[in-house]
Amino acid sequence: MAESSLSSINIPQILAVALVGFFAIRWFMSKPSAPGNNASSSSRRGQQVDLTKVEQVAAMFPQLDRRTIAWDLHRNGQSVGATTERVLSGQGLDNPPPSYQPHLPSPNQQAPAVGVSAGTRKDGTRNEDLITRYGLQGRVGGKGKEAELSEEQKRSAWSSDKAARAEGLKKRRDEMILQARRRMEAKESGA
Amino acid sequence: MNSVASKRLFQEYKHLTTDPPDGITAGPVNEDDLFIWEALIQGPEGTPYEGGIFPAELKFPKDYPLMPPTMKFTCDIWHPNVYPNGVVCISILHPPGDDPNHYEQASERWSPIQSVEKILISVMSMIAEPNDESPANVDAARMWRERRQEFERRVKADVRRSLGL
Repeated sequence: MAESSLSSINIPQILAVALVGFFAIRWFMSKPSAPGNNASSSSRRGQQVDLTKVEQVAAMFPQLDRRTIAWDLHRNGQSVGATTERVLSGQGLDNPPPSYQPHLPSPNQQAPAVGVSAGTRKDGTRNEDLITRYGLQGRVGGKGKEAELSEEQKRSAWSSDKAARAEGLKKRRDEMILQARRRMEAKESGA
Repeated sequence: MNSVASKRLFQEYKHLTTDPPDGITAGPVNEDDLFIWEALIQGPEGTPYEGGIFPAELKFPKDYPLMPPTMKFTCDIWHPNVYPNGVVCISILHPPGDDPNHYEQASERWSPIQSVEKILISVMSMIAEPNDESPANVDAARMWRERRQEFERRVKADVRRSLGL
């Protein structure tokens, strides 16, 4: 009897303790992410970064870390002008506190976003001819006949070795480009 | 390891290596990531693109083959159905289902029974025969329609330059 009454009191008590504990933990967890700054809610807002603005600044100053830019934007109320001003005035941007970890895509993924820098880089490779791009300068113009691939070689065997497969693919690719170049040269000298 | 997509891409790579279609070389840029490929397409004969080699990048989604890859030429190619940034616009690369604009049959669009090989062959025939109805490069489309000679001269000059001549 005594035991059952004891347990019927304990369940609500345990629940209450758990609830209080939960809120206490939540409060402690959210507190340190906003050091110095006012409300804890601002830190959560701060994690939401306006990516286009970060990109705009990053496009102007590619040497700056995106997290640093995001931090400065976060502190000045998302003003691109103010951040730009600050960098140009030579003041430099403050380092963000370690707890400030906004969700920023890694630089490779964000290429198509705004990327002035990404655009110019792409154009660089696009304007390059294939011989330069694939590093085949040493193999053009040499002996005119670099044994064209036979039908047998074109159907290159499937190797079980990864490196051999990559090598085979590269070889077929290079040969395709060199062959096109040789044919074009032959056609022009013949014409 | 994303097994279904990776296995399928590996199989397709193997097939394209042992039995490649004419004028096409394709495979992963790096076998550690089977979701990014590079393909070389030869310009079809009897067209101004003849003699050229056109490199392109294929990016596969994680749910391949349910959804199609995207394809982007990494060279200059002046063509009505290729956006100025190199992205290829062709029905086989459009997600499965009916076209909301009723331009394309569902059968022309992507479905898991298609393959990389079919995409590349379709792109090759697209290069040979531009589709005037839905141009991706409006300027190229207009030139192709109205000033064909100038169009062909420009393409031939691009081809020649791309081979370092």
